[in-house]
Amino acid sequence: MRYGMALDYKNCINCRACEVACKEENGVELGARKHRIWVGVKEVEGEWPNINIASSTFEPSQCQQCENAPCQEVCPTQATHYAPGGIVMVDASKCILCTYCMVACPYDARYVNDRTETVDKCTFCSDTRLARGETTTACQATCPTKVRTFGDLDDPESEISQLLNVRDHFTLKAHLGTKPKLFYLI
Amino acid sequence: MFALAEKGMKQIEKIIPMRHTDIRELFKFERTPLNLLIAFITFIFLILFVVGFINYLRFGHHAYGVYREHPWGLMIAMYIFFVVSSTGLCIMSAIGHVFEVKVLEPFSKRAIHGALVTLISGFIVILLEVGHPFRMMLYNTISPGLTSAIWGMGVLYSLYLIFIAVEFFFLLRHDHKWAKRFGIFGLVVGIAAHSNLGAVFGFLVGRPVANGIYYPLYFILTAMVTGCYLIFLMYGFKYKLDFPENIQKTLIATAKILGLLLAILLFFEIWKALTSIYGGMYDRSATAIHILKSSSFWIGEIFLGILVPFIIILFSSARAIKPLVFASFTGMIGIFYMRYDLVNDTQLFPMQTLKITEYQLPPSFIHYTPSMTEIFIALGAIGIAITLYYIGDKLLYLENDPENV
Repeated sequence: MRYGMALDYKNCINCRACEVACKEENGVELGARKHRIWVGVKEVEGEWPNINIASSTFEPSQCQQCENAPCQEVCPTQATHYAPGGIVMVDASKCILCTYCMVACPYDARYVNDRTETVDKCTFCSDTRLARGETTTACQATCPTKVRTFGDLDDPESEISQLLNVRDHFTLKAHLGTKPKLFYLI
Repeated sequence: MFALAEKGMKQIEKIIPMRHTDIRELFKFERTPLNLLIAFITFIFLILFVVGFINYLRFGHHAYGVYREHPWGLMIAMYIFFVVSSTGLCIMSAIGHVFEVKVLEPFSKRAIHGALVTLISGFIVILLEVGHPFRMMLYNTISPGLTSAIWGMGVLYSLYLIFIAVEFFFLLRHDHKWAKRFGIFGLVVGIAAHSNLGAVFGFLVGRPVANGIYYPLYFILTAMVTGCYLIFLMYGFKYKLDFPENIQKTLIATAKILGLLLAILLFFEIWKALTSIYGGMYDRSATAIHILKSSSFWIGEIFLGILVPFIIILFSSARAIKPLVFASFTGMIGIFYMRYDLVNDTQLFPMQTLKITEYQLPPSFIHYTPSMTEIFIALGAIGIAITLYYIGDKLLYLENDPENV
């Protein structure tokens, strides 16, 4: 089992319902805006009147759940580890708050959780929704334009596998060899 | 209290020779303007440390100027500054008493004392940077992250502390056979620990300006430079620039080594800049150009840290040891800039290149300003280092000359 997420990012309307749902579901503290999940806004290219409307896109993002995660590699106490399903998780009892993972993450996806006083991250809702037997993440369930598809990459019949078979896609900073499991559909 | 302390000191004296066993001696020193100034500054620094420490206890990391995009700040820079000094002094000491280069032997004991003092100061700073220091000691041991450079550095520096402490103990007892043995261990482990510290930055694949072999090597080189500067400062202060003949020879030899090291360091800096810019790989080259436009690089790192001492050495054929004491002071300021810039520069380039709120400008270089708490603790740690050095200098025999044996 290997969990991943496909993002049909061109459908994103930047409503940020995913950010709200994530905060609600995972107990992200007030004020920690854009910490666990966020929507990147790409500037419109060109100058009036020659504006390239197609260049204006939104890029929803979060932890890329790398298969070769730099944050896991640099953790001195194995607090950051791979949980079943390949999800990069943090064992709060082992985190020493050295913040090396925050420096090492090429996606700026780690943040300090002031409630647990550890460095936290997106967990694909594995300790909340997935633990309750649900099959979707909060951000996916709430998305009005169905940008996100979450599922098992090892299951050829899963929706995400089927989607990645038929749609071209890319990953962020692929040249770093981190093997992200967030796939942006073209 | 003084009587109890004196009793303890007398017990210690049975094991290692001591200059004084009465700790009231610590408060007796020659009341020259320079001594009084240093004592006053050190006292202020210690007070600042207490203020910073209390602030940290009250507000934790919120008392620091670090934030999500720039999680490492002045505290990490100060930690590196101190442990670099420690490794440098250990290496310089080893040249004399481990490799038996006679001309450099006079400062071996004093240098190891300096290495211990700076290492302890560095550890104090890092304990106030890591969010859970006690958890760190526990889980570094029972759940080691073997691929982590921080883990390797922590283990190696802990071993290094033990080795140089034992080495110092034997040096004080004039047991050169065992001092040499532990000196070798201390040297090897110290260099390994220090290059591991370089690897903490060198392993960052997502930050091309730091990634690679450069920092692990640069750290060793700059450690030796720092060691030379500190030796000049320690002896300049001890002899008030009126050096006896044997110390003059030692310092001239040290200056020659320093000259060579600075030439290599200049070489390092030039090629680091050129290879970072060449080819225009955006995140690396843009960061390098940004660094090259900063005054802290040119004035701090290059002018104060390298050129001032280097020019003095070059034009005096390494004989101007008195001006070099002052140049070592500017050199240490430069070394501080090197540490600060190293930490800051690594985090300059934003990892998120898209804007994430509607009306912000697209992310540009990350800015960081240390908070007053960080500055207080950093200055306080310098105060602690000076105090510990003074205590050792006052109570122990730190010279190798026969009258002390």
